[in-house]
Order: sequence, then structure tokens, then C-alpha cells
Amino acid sequence: MNEKIVIKNVNKFYGRKQALFDINLTIEKGMFGLLGRNGAGKTTLMKTLAVLHKKKSGDITICDVPVEKAKEIRAMTGYLPQDFSMYPNMKCDEALEYLGALSEISKAECKKRITSLLRRVNLIEHRHKKVRELSGGMKRRLGIAQALIHDPKVLIVDEPTAGLDPEERIRFRNLLCEIAQDRIVILSTHIVGDIEATCKNIAVMDAGKILWKGTVQEILENAKGHIYTTNVEKRFLPQIKKEYIVTGMLAQTDYVTVRIVSDAEPDLPNTVLTEPDLESAYMYCLHSNGCDVMGGEE
Amino acid sequence: MLFSKECKKILHSFTYILYCALVILMVVSQYFGESDGKVYPPVKGGDDYGYKIEEDHDIIMSSATVALTTEYFANRYVCYPFGFYKAVHLNNKEQAEVEKYISELSGLDSKELIDIKNNSNIYNYTDGTHYYSDYNVMDVPVSETLTYERFTEIMGDVDDILGGGSDYAVESLVVRFSRIPMTYEDAVEDYNELIEDDKITGAYARLFSDYAGIVLAIVPVFVAAALTAADRRRKMNELIYSRKTSSFRLVFTRYASLVTMMFIPVFLLIVIAFVQLLSMYSGEKMDMSVMFTLPTFWLLPNIMTASAIGMLVTELFSGGAAILVQFVWWFMGLMMAGTAGLDGMIGKYTFICRHNSLGMRRAFFMNWDNFVFNRIFYIIISLAAAVVAVLIYDMKRGGRFDGIRLFGKNSIFRRKA
Repeated sequence: MNEKIVIKNVNKFYGRKQALFDINLTIEKGMFGLLGRNGAGKTTLMKTLAVLHKKKSGDITICDVPVEKAKEIRAMTGYLPQDFSMYPNMKCDEALEYLGALSEISKAECKKRITSLLRRVNLIEHRHKKVRELSGGMKRRLGIAQALIHDPKVLIVDEPTAGLDPEERIRFRNLLCEIAQDRIVILSTHIVGDIEATCKNIAVMDAGKILWKGTVQEILENAKGHIYTTNVEKRFLPQIKKEYIVTGMLAQTDYVTVRIVSDAEPDLPNTVLTEPDLESAYMYCLHSNGCDVMGGEE
Repeated sequence: MLFSKECKKILHSFTYILYCALVILMVVSQYFGESDGKVYPPVKGGDDYGYKIEEDHDIIMSSATVALTTEYFANRYVCYPFGFYKAVHLNNKEQAEVEKYISELSGLDSKELIDIKNNSNIYNYTDGTHYYSDYNVMDVPVSETLTYERFTEIMGDVDDILGGGSDYAVESLVVRFSRIPMTYEDAVEDYNELIEDDKITGAYARLFSDYAGIVLAIVPVFVAAALTAADRRRKMNELIYSRKTSSFRLVFTRYASLVTMMFIPVFLLIVIAFVQLLSMYSGEKMDMSVMFTLPTFWLLPNIMTASAIGMLVTELFSGGAAILVQFVWWFMGLMMAGTAGLDGMIGKYTFICRHNSLGMRRAFFMNWDNFVFNRIFYIIISLAAAVVAVLIYDMKRGGRFDGIRLFGKNSIFRRKA
């Protein structure tokens, strides 16, 4: 079986408003990051892959199965939505048993998988806790467990780390990397750090279009020669933010080190061309594709 | 596995607990309030033995003519098309037609009818919204030349003018207009029917079903709606939508679990009622099965229909609209329960079947065919509603439909505007 997702010329409308424009992507085994601002169309694309939305035109195949065969796609896909919860009165293992039953797994098999998954997501000690008693991070981990209950070939995870504390976020990223070893994992996020820490292949989306696709290394290469740092006095900051795309600021004793994205070398003293990080590369990608980016604007 | 999990979910829901409380309250306060005393043979020399329904053409023609004249004077005809209350007001042309028929029934001309109207007492009443005036017509003669065949033709025509579902529908004439006081002998016969034909339990099964049927026609809609809406309310719908299981399996498993769970308290109450009868009538010969079979056949269609409607409405409408439609159902249910309270009055389409009496077995069996048709009709309706709910669920699941909104930003009215 061809373990990849192929998306060809996909368009999607909400009423008369077009949400996806001619999307073309090939996603292979491992972690794949879909990066974009809020409202870029990431969730729409994720939901279309999870057969929760219907595309207007184009073709999607998941492991050679066209997305129109909803039941087969659902059997091989696990989905963790951005905004989800579970019946608050159910215990963790009960909630998983319920969703396992909906995935048509036998009772014995389901019980076995629940124990193994709860162990994997580090919730085994909380298996008899009610869903409403879980913290945000625990709930997300339970979310991953439910998405994996039927051992899917594809895991679609939409903004999973939003609202998590740094420790929980790191734990979650590591978990996703582990899971991606034997399946396709699509991580949709607007948090660059999540992608940087987990994905080799990424796509950048904005306004329903794919702006860029390739490896993390390639997007960094693409931004080379366009990222600068400079040390400026604090009082000049507002002016610099107005004129340039500022992606980072580090306050020193009597000056600020500013990271700037620019097509040409900024006309500022002490400016140094610097190696791009993913955040700056992403901002450059948006900027070079004509998106309205105000990096330093608060 | 899924069925038991759905049942457990329902068992832990607040709406279900409320449902159980309402069913128990209704049956305990109404049925057990009436059934706690043994029925004894009538005593000779009593004042009132109740009434019976017997096909007496003279009584039917006389009572129906008075009733029609009364409604004609007020131009307000109470009808129950498909079991729903409707006050019909006719235009001048239709009133003239009805007057022509009354003249034929009574042998009176227009002037004589006006005299009766002017000599009748008027009494005013209100239903809380409107004020009405009715004429207390005491007596209207029946034409000596009128045959019963012609009478039924006229009644059929009047029912057509009224749009159907009136008291004058030919199949309702006997039950509506042929009620006569029982004599001692009639009362003895009625008692004997209870003991010998109904084998006691048959009569109690009807009374139990009559009371339980009212609450079971209304309340299950809320339990079904709450369960159906829970996925969205708990932000669980996308987790469920993305599962392998088919929409048919999911919706029908939920439907089956709802019906099962809502029948359980009813069944337990039947058991209690049965035990009560065993203790009250110890030594008497009883039919052991009818106390279970009749209420099941009577009440299950109510639960099935109300549940299917609750699921369908909640899937079809989003947000406040679903609640609004549920309240419309509630209101209609109350209206039907309040107005269809006559013994043996079971129409083909009346959702709430009523027989509010321990006796009057013959009146009930006079409508037996209607009753059987009615219950099967509602079982079919409920299954059809559940199938439509499956189709809508499947559309929502695939992102092809998001529910009709009557209010707010995406209201259908705003979109049209």
C-alpha cells in the first residue's frame, strides 16, 4: 500500500466564499507540519482530509483510497480537533471504550489498546478519573489516545498545543514524534516552535492557499540573505517596527538587539546578516508571497 | 457494546432522571390513585351507574342535531384533524350550507332556527386567550321523515365542510353521540365483562395505558433531544463524526437505547401495578399476560414516536430552534391529552389514545380496529422519522448540512433577506 496522502487541485467553498484554492500537496510517512496564521485554512484542509468537510473539486487520496470512500477513510484516519472535549461524566477509559465502540473495535481488543495507549500518553494512573477532572494538557493527551484507538495509518492533529504550558507542550511534541515513527502525522499549527521541534516536511498556508512546501531546511535556505540583526536604542524601536518586519527583540542593558526580515539590507547602523531561524524564515515566506506581515506590531 | 454504552449514558443524564420522575409522578398520582380499591359488583338501587355507549339511532340523531345547531349558532366548530385541536369558523356560504342541512335534520326553517337561538341562554367562557360565547341549546327536534341513512350522509357532508376530524365524522357518531345512562342490569353486565372478558387485568391495563400514554407522548421528546444535542454541547461531535461506524448504526443504536431505557420505568410500574392486582384480586381468575402486552402495544409507539421526533428535530434544527420545536410538540401534546379524554375515542391518527375508565370494555373494542391501525401507523411514522434523522446526521457528518437556524447570524430568514 502506498502510504501517502495526495492532494490535487482541491477547492473548497463555504457558501459563496472560497476557503481553499487549488491545494496541491503530497504528504508522506512521518511528521508533516502545516503552518499558517489563524484563518489561513488549515482547519478546513484538516477537516476535508478527515471527511468532515466536503471539497468542491479536486482529488484527495489517502493511502490510495479516495476521500469519497468515507467509511474506509474514517477507518484509517485518527482526528484530534482543535476545540474538543468529551462527556465530562465519563471516566478516561470509559470515554475511550465508547469511541472505540464507534470505531467498531472488539471489546477485548479495545481494552488492550486502552491500557497500552493510556500508558503511552502517560495517563494510566488517571484512567479512572472523570474527564471533567483532567487538566488541559491531560485532556489533549487523552485526545491523542482516542485518535489512536483504532490504530490509524494517518493521524490528523489540529492546533494541539494551543493553551498548553511549556512543559506540557514539550511532552506533547515528543509524543507526536514517537507516534509518527510508524504512520503519517499531520500537525496543523500557527506555533512555529511546534513545527521546528517536530517536523521535517512542512507547508505554509495563508488565505486558503499553499504558499510554500518543502523541508524545514529548504525554507531556511530560502530565507538566507534576508534576515538581519541590529542593535538599536530603545527609543528608536517604534520607528523600526513601523518600517521593518521585526521577528525578535532581545533587550540588553542600554540597547535592544532586533531581528529583522527584509528584502534588502536595512539602512541601520551595526546591521549584520544573520542565519535565519524558522520563525524568521516563515515570516519571510509570508512577506515574499505578498502577505501583509507586521512582525513587530503588538 | 455500543448499545450498552448508550444506555449507560442515558442512565446518567439529568433529563432521564427527570423523565423517570415525571412518569412515576403521573402514574402514581393518577393510575395508582384510582386503582387502589377493588371493584365490587354494583349494588341494586343506586342513583348513578355511569353511562354506556350503545348504537341507538334515535339518540345519535337527536344529540348530533343539538350539537350541530349549538356550534352553528356560535360559528365555532371544534375539530380534531389528525388528533389536533382546531376551532373551525365557516364563511357565510358554508354557514348557509350547514343551515340548510340543519333544516333538513330538524324540519325547521331559518326563522324557527333564529327563534331557538334567541331563546337560548348564552354563556361566555375563555380559554385564556380568546373569549367565546356559546348558546345553551336545550332541544332541537329531529324531522320525522329523516332516515338514519340520510342522517349519516348529511353528517358526512358537514364533516367535509368542516375539513374533517369533527364530531360529525361518520365513524365518530356512535361514540360521540350515543351515550346513555346505565341501568343496574347494564352495570352488572359491565362488571361481569371486567371479571370474565377482561379477566380483571385487561381493564386495568387499559386504565394504566391511558394515564401513562399522556406523559409518554410528550416527555420522551426532551430526553431524545438532550441526548442528540449532547455531542455538540460537549464538543464531542467531531470526535464521533470521524469514527468508522455508519450513521445508520449510530443513530439506530441510540434510538434503540433511548426507547429501551424509557420503557424500563414503565415496565417496572406495570410490574408494580400487576403485583397490586394480584394482591387485590387474589383468588380471582386473571389474564397474566395482558397486563404486559396491552400497555406495551399501547405505549411503545408513543415512546418510539416522541423519541424519533426529538432526535429528528434536534438534528434538523440548530440551537434555539430545536428547543422551540420541542416546546411546540409539548404544547400540542398537552392539547391532545386535554381534549381527547373521552372513553373509547380512539381515532385512526390520534397520537394519544385514551380510555379513561375501568369499565366500558365494549366502547373500547368498538374502536379496536382503529386502535390497532393507530398504533401500527405510529410505529411506522417513528421508524420513518428515525431514518430521516439518519440521513440528516449523515449529511451533517460529511459537512453537507449544518442544521437550520431560525435565530442569530445564520438564520434562514436572514440568509433569504
